[in-house]
Amino acid sequence: MVHIKNHKALIEASRAVLVVMIALVIGFVITALVSKEPVRAYAALLTGPLPKVSFAHGVEITNLNRFGNWLEESTTLILLGLAVSLVFGARQFSLGAEGQLLLGALAAAAVAVKMPAPFPLHLLLALGAAGIVGFLWGLIPGLLKAYLAVDEIVCTLMLNVIALQLFDLVLLNWLRDPGASFLGTASFPASVVPPLLIPGTRVSWMLIVMVAAVLGVWFLMARTPFGYALKMVGANRKFAEYGGINARRVIALSMAVSGILAGLAGAHLSLGLLKRLTVSLAPGLGFEGVVVALLARNDPRGVLVTGLFYGYLRTGAQIMERSSDVTREVVLIIQAVIILLVTAERLFPSFQQWRRTRSDGGAIAIDRGLGG
Amino acid sequence: MPARVAMQQISKIYPNGVVANHKVDFAVEKGEIHALVGENGAGKSTLMKLLYGLEQPTHGAIFLEGRRVEIANPQRAIHLGIGMVHQNFMLAPSFTIAENVVLGNEPRKGRLVDHKRAIAITAALSAKFGLQVDPTARIEATPVGMRQRAEILKTLFRGADLLILDEPTAVLTPQETDELFWAVRNLVDQGKTVIFITHKLGEVKEIADRVTVMRHGEVAGRVATREVTEADLARMMVGRAVLLSSYARPAVRGKVVAAVHNLGCIDETGRPVLRNVTFAVHAGEILGVAGVEGNGQSELVEVMAGLRAVATGEIRINGKAVQGASVREMRANGVAHIPEDRLANGVALDASIAENLVVDRYHRPPFTRYGVLWPRSVRQHATALMQQFDIRGAGPGASLRSLSGGNQQKVVAAREFSAAPVLLIAAQPTRGVDIGATEFVHGQLLAKRNAGAAVLLVSADLSEVLRLADRIVVMVKGEIAGILENGPQLTEETLGVYMLGRNRPTP
Repeated sequence: MVHIKNHKALIEASRAVLVVMIALVIGFVITALVSKEPVRAYAALLTGPLPKVSFAHGVEITNLNRFGNWLEESTTLILLGLAVSLVFGARQFSLGAEGQLLLGALAAAAVAVKMPAPFPLHLLLALGAAGIVGFLWGLIPGLLKAYLAVDEIVCTLMLNVIALQLFDLVLLNWLRDPGASFLGTASFPASVVPPLLIPGTRVSWMLIVMVAAVLGVWFLMARTPFGYALKMVGANRKFAEYGGINARRVIALSMAVSGILAGLAGAHLSLGLLKRLTVSLAPGLGFEGVVVALLARNDPRGVLVTGLFYGYLRTGAQIMERSSDVTREVVLIIQAVIILLVTAERLFPSFQQWRRTRSDGGAIAIDRGLGG
Repeated sequence: MPARVAMQQISKIYPNGVVANHKVDFAVEKGEIHALVGENGAGKSTLMKLLYGLEQPTHGAIFLEGRRVEIANPQRAIHLGIGMVHQNFMLAPSFTIAENVVLGNEPRKGRLVDHKRAIAITAALSAKFGLQVDPTARIEATPVGMRQRAEILKTLFRGADLLILDEPTAVLTPQETDELFWAVRNLVDQGKTVIFITHKLGEVKEIADRVTVMRHGEVAGRVATREVTEADLARMMVGRAVLLSSYARPAVRGKVVAAVHNLGCIDETGRPVLRNVTFAVHAGEILGVAGVEGNGQSELVEVMAGLRAVATGEIRINGKAVQGASVREMRANGVAHIPEDRLANGVALDASIAENLVVDRYHRPPFTRYGVLWPRSVRQHATALMQQFDIRGAGPGASLRSLSGGNQQKVVAAREFSAAPVLLIAAQPTRGVDIGATEFVHGQLLAKRNAGAAVLLVSADLSEVLRLADRIVVMVKGEIAGILENGPQLTEETLGVYMLGRNRPTP
């Protein structure tokens, strides 16, 4: 049995590698079409995020900031991926991470600017505020879906719009630094900025928060009765209800808990990376969490891996854009092609399963009809 | 004379490697009623799908009246005179019977459907074959028996002279079954040929001239029905002797466990589905609930299980009023529930076997302690139950989907029987279950009863209710039409009279 399992895992792993290779070849073909130096440009995409180690004068590490960019980017993506994986796990297609991220960042900034406190209390208060606001902003569509059967896709997309306007309203009217030449708050006090882990980068304690979040979500899903209930609601809601699980409560809570993680991602952006809050914080970033969660098949441990992968790709793409003649649009196309192929590969088994379910369903119906 | 249908050396292997039919020889003579019986998964559905053009055989050939044919699709089958009456009727509910009969081949007046002629055609067919229908009645307003006759007329209108009837009696009362049998004999008298799929062996003896028995995708035997007994047929189906007689019943009726008083219930559309339902289930008793399906039995089960709200009245479990309680509270009070549609409600196909076995108890020790779920306990629990209930699968971690249908059913049974219920609700517990597993479920129900549990057995299969129940409640239109003591004097016919609502309950 174990042997067969290993065999299957091997096939799946080699297929994943093959798909990534194909994606990279297609990416290179596109690069070759638009660039005079395709090899150098493509190398920037593939190896850009790695630090360069030279041994000319002892050991010297350069380009550490790019390596840092990768980890910072991944931290945000992983937190968002965890948020999305929770709601998708309960089979709720909530797309509210974007709005929760914005309001989480806003809440953290409000605490940073308006509630002075000593370090590390100040930081903890700001993170707590981000989590609580994310929770509440997730609870709204959760309750609407669970108790009034409001479609969660429509509802969360609308709430994203509201969150964005609320963000601008509060930022511009109450938090903005009137003396600054740009639309944003003043720089945050040091008491609220998470200390750095790697000097010369912006990789901070938020990396540890992110790893803790991965472990926390894994524990929640695998080792708590709530995680079991959430999985069962996602697998078959009628079955969960038949077994005595309060599916409505589970649905509402899954969307709210997901909001905590998206809120923390927002706090990472404002406290950890910008160290202030500005308008147009991160348009569309919430949806990148969907990509990460889908690639990871909603498994929190997988989110860690796919978040790092996707973060690497995004960072490499930025470096390619900066350091070669390939334009931003083409870089985004290459990035999208790679993600499309990888997603297709990840989705392929679930698609097969879906088809099998359908034909099973048909066979069962007919079998019941004939043999029942 | 060559046979009307001869299927020779038919094998059907699905792409996933499942061998549904293996070298099957199947022949039906012109003008006979030929029963096709077998357990679930024996391959009879596949065989009929091949004959009706829904699937193609991997090997083998089909001959109609000696001529070899390829039946690529159902249209081709209809063209060849083969008609199939499915168990789930394929009728448009808002159309009249006449409109349904001519659907797809409507008589026309100019560009419009000629309704008068449609009605005339239907009436003529109806008279010719003795299949009584009201051509102008809308399908949704007609009883099941008439819908079935409309479905048969539809295939006859398309020129079928070989009719495949798929479990036609599953939805009928005994009286309606008698009417159907009369009509089927009439069809054969007029030169039609009928293939009759069923698992009720009594019906095979009653209606069929010959019978083909299938087991494990192969033909286990083909015999003239007058030469065999029901027990012979059961042995051919299962491959060993099967106990078909009544079970002995030592009626040690104890105290009242579940008391339902003046229960009323309204469905989502505001229609009353239960009215003034009053009965009691005692410890050590099986209370059967009989009735034509759709007369409130499903709703009664849902109410008792905590899945549906109560409008009026009360339910007491061991004296404690529990109407309006949640599923979890009901289960905490000792109610276990084998649901009617087990694949839709009783399992999560993509969850593991172990996860499926704890849905009602995962929040309690030993599974959850100190707020933490212990997967090892969940796994050990599953291993024990899989052994005890002989659930054959790769292991506790395998997905439920990977199990065979029979083993999926066993997972539900294992969970509910192992819940140590004071009241066990079993809704259609043997529907879709083969003879071997039926024996097992019946044995477990009796064991629970003998151990002092109260059992509420809801079943559309009257022979099952008569075999197991100590008392029988008959439901009609959401009301109780009668509560009868079971005994040798009680017959399906007597129950059938109550089921039709012709006998009002005597107080």
